[in-house]
Amino acid sequence: MAAESWLVWALIAGMAAIAFLTRAVFILPGSHLRLPPTAERALRYAPAAALMAIIVPDIALVQGALSISIENPRLVGGLVAFALAASTRSVFATIAGGMLALTLVRQFGG
Amino acid sequence: MQREQISALREGALASAGLLVGIVPWGIVAGVAMVSAGLSETQAVAMSVLVFAGTAQLAVLPLLVAKAPLWVMVATALVVNLRYVIYSAVLAPHFEHLPRLWRVLLSYVTVDGVFALFAGRYRPDDGNRNKHWYFLGGSLVMWCAWQLSSGVGIFAGAMIPGEWSLEFASTLALIAVLIPLLFDRAVAWGALAAGGVALIAAKLPLNLGLLAAIAVGVAVGLAVARLGPRAGRV
Repeated sequence: MAAESWLVWALIAGMAAIAFLTRAVFILPGSHLRLPPTAERALRYAPAAALMAIIVPDIALVQGALSISIENPRLVGGLVAFALAASTRSVFATIAGGMLALTLVRQFGG
Repeated sequence: MQREQISALREGALASAGLLVGIVPWGIVAGVAMVSAGLSETQAVAMSVLVFAGTAQLAVLPLLVAKAPLWVMVATALVVNLRYVIYSAVLAPHFEHLPRLWRVLLSYVTVDGVFALFAGRYRPDDGNRNKHWYFLGGSLVMWCAWQLSSGVGIFAGAMIPGEWSLEFASTLALIAVLIPLLFDRAVAWGALAAGGVALIAAKLPLNLGLLAAIAVGVAVGLAVARLGPRAGRV
């Protein structure tokens, strides 16, 4: 499972640069620029789209094939987490409930 | 430091103490997930300190496990961090009178929760000369809480057997971040479209499906917003 060391260090360097630059882009030059409303909207929609595009394949695909089944532990765990996040808004309940559902399906399902 | 600066620093720190309930489990999960995804303990600590962006950290981990190319992971971190560009534009007029080193420091420590507290408390034309101390106080609390809770997760994660698949916790944590964003109708439709495209396009090489999904999601979000307040209501 261990990723190649140089790749991880390059990833950390790239992410550190991006995390700093996205935060500093207007603060550092002391800019007074106002973002146009359309640009601001696009910047708001992109993170949610990216998160959903990471989450959905991670829970619904098993080795590259669509698996919509109660026997897919990650799908069940993910759906339980969605329900808990929407109803409780608690990070802890979301993660604990999702992991518990994953474990139960692995133990007793299939 | 003068009295007013200390009191602004304290006020910011106390206000952000209310955010600790959210950030501590989040940091522990990020720590565990980094180690479970194959980072060494040194790499995980370096990532926490140098990147200091929990959503981006958690978002790249499933991609790292899936052996996505480096540029796709960095591009994903960029997209997830685009919200900071908005924060930066809002914060810039507040901090423009400060020396460069201050602006570097305040950029580095910016996080969602403290931004929201600060933007709710100070108008852009607020002439208060100590408001950056408030921001710093809140940010320092969050920074320390993040590093400590990540550290706990990193060293706990190294002791937990791999078959527990705790790397899945990073996906679950992303779900917890995503849900509050979906209460905006256009954001929700954009995200749903992105999820659908990500599934259909999962076979595309180099994880291009992910980038295509984001592009379609943004386009759908913009279209829904343009169609007016009642479009897409279910």
